[in-house]
Amino acid sequence: MPQLSQELPAEDRLVLLPKNPGAFFVLWRFCASRVAAFRAAALAGEIELRLFSVDDKAQVSCLKAAWGAGKAYLTVPAQGGMYAVALYALRGGEWEKLLESNAAAAPSAAGMAEERAYASLEFHKRGLV
Amino acid sequence: MSSRGSMMFVLHAHLPYVNHPADSSFLEENWFFEAVAETYVPIISSLERLAAEGIRPGIAVSISPTLGAMLENEELEKKMAFYLESRLELIEKELVRAKDNPALFKTVKLYQKLYEDAAALMHKYSGDLITPLKALQHAGQIEIITTSATHAVLPLMTRPEAVRAQLAVAAEDYLDRFNRKPSGFWLPECAYEPRLNSYLKLSGFSYIFTESHAVEFAGAAAPGGVYAPYRTTNGLGLFARDAASSREVWSSKFGYPGDPAYREFYRDFGYDGELEYIKPYLGSDGARRPLGLKYHRITGSGADLAAKQYYDPELAMARVEAHASDFLARRMAQTDEYYAARGTRPLIVSCYDAELFGHWWFEGPAFLETVIRKIRVERLPLQFVTPSEYLNSCQEPREITPGVSSWGENGYFDPWVNETNDFIYDAVYAATDKMIETANRFRNQDLPSLNLRALNQAARETLLSQSSDWAFLLYIGSHSQYAKGRLEDHAAAAIKLLGEVIEKKVDEAALNELEQRNNLFPRLDFRVFASVSKF
Repeated sequence: MPQLSQELPAEDRLVLLPKNPGAFFVLWRFCASRVAAFRAAALAGEIELRLFSVDDKAQVSCLKAAWGAGKAYLTVPAQGGMYAVALYALRGGEWEKLLESNAAAAPSAAGMAEERAYASLEFHKRGLV
Repeated sequence: MSSRGSMMFVLHAHLPYVNHPADSSFLEENWFFEAVAETYVPIISSLERLAAEGIRPGIAVSISPTLGAMLENEELEKKMAFYLESRLELIEKELVRAKDNPALFKTVKLYQKLYEDAAALMHKYSGDLITPLKALQHAGQIEIITTSATHAVLPLMTRPEAVRAQLAVAAEDYLDRFNRKPSGFWLPECAYEPRLNSYLKLSGFSYIFTESHAVEFAGAAAPGGVYAPYRTTNGLGLFARDAASSREVWSSKFGYPGDPAYREFYRDFGYDGELEYIKPYLGSDGARRPLGLKYHRITGSGADLAAKQYYDPELAMARVEAHASDFLARRMAQTDEYYAARGTRPLIVSCYDAELFGHWWFEGPAFLETVIRKIRVERLPLQFVTPSEYLNSCQEPREITPGVSSWGENGYFDPWVNETNDFIYDAVYAATDKMIETANRFRNQDLPSLNLRALNQAARETLLSQSSDWAFLLYIGSHSQYAKGRLEDHAAAAIKLLGEVIEKKVDEAALNELEQRNNLFPRLDFRVFASVSKF
């Protein structure tokens, strides 16, 4: 899997990006003190990414991930809504909210027709470069 | 004959900012040289020719700020002149080599004219191709619009400050380059989400273009489908791309560019030629790469590259004529059908990447010119209109709420967010967040000149890290290492500069080097990234 070759500053960040009507991309990073807490097992190694609706704050899905994974893809439960994700970690047996993301709109599916030829745009650019 | 409908051609011209002044021959700078010789010069020549004949092209051209900066970059202009000289030198040799092969000789002569024309136009405008575009706009022949500062896919910029900066810098860049405020905004990759409306309006833009399904989502609220303009809740004008006219040009499978008579893109003399013979014209590493001299035609779908036949310019031009007629016949059928069903005249919005015309589809500029000329010469009941003209003359557009969309593969954001490239957003957001935080910290301070320069350069580097091109190149697996390196270098440079300002330890020599290499947006003020911006 491709990854960055340069080290980035340790800081808290949780970003939610739309991908398509069925998926969001989420990336996260922790500040040095939280990294130390995970490494020292003060925070459990498995985090939860809880996707919730921005309108009513209701949680709509939850994905478990390793704290160091730094990214994941979340399934979109319903198209067209606004969502955000909160990152939780276990501390002393209790779930603690560490980070909350920006809000992102889940696109609605268009029922794409092949005739729209989106992909041909791509191979044109492949030719150019 | 009175018009039964209107057509709007939008050509979006964009290349990532590539400028390596320390290198005499940098591979990725060839993207620019190829696009100038094969696309921008032929299109400008076509537009000038039409205007001189009294045929107003009436098309819209989007020039990205990064491309605009390259078109005005004197170092790149010098390298461009060298590139053209080098090609013409090789062509002279090729004319000798091809003297006993009439089919090849004819095509070599065609390339000689292509590069001589490019050299002549560059000479005429002292190397600056913005000049003729500006003149065409000033004369009312075309309308020029802009796009985000570094072609960032705006729905993927989650920080409002980042979106505002991309828009504000683009608007200022346009004003500096074209001496007027921009009206139109090309959403990079047609990527739209409702959050953008207010930012676009506040930045002074009057209209945008979206993918078809952005409008189709609006359902009954958009009874005209993609054949009418709309406005968003805050009065931003909106045009939607017509899928049918795009398909005929874009599609390799169904579209005109796949015709057997047209030039084959993938067979290039850089791979066919004897290595020692072509070595002086390859890069400093001597590796084979395209030279732009492509002597064969597509010949047939699926034909092996080795089995391609020689290109025949006359045969290709006959197909251009036929395809232009077919294209216009289909548009007239579209307008007739729409008018019969609804009793109003439709607007057909056809959007294309400019580089399709000439670079990939070699005959594309001739097709474009033939389509425009035919409407006049054959007195067809169609008219070309520019976006501002149309909005100024049409009835008040209906208000709709467009849907989240893009014109990328599958219609959303998959090409820029997937397993091949998602790792880049960590760096993009690290730079962006740091830039915003530092802009907020220093926005009201009187700063020493060195620190101010460092902050402004950090803003340039941050904007460059946000370019859609790095994610796209990684996705298609082309120049991946270069894309990854550029993204990382811009993000790291921004973070380093911001850290140096905070620690009051700016490395002036390193700053000088960055300012020389990434020297676009000369008036950029880092405060454009502040949360409460003065812009």
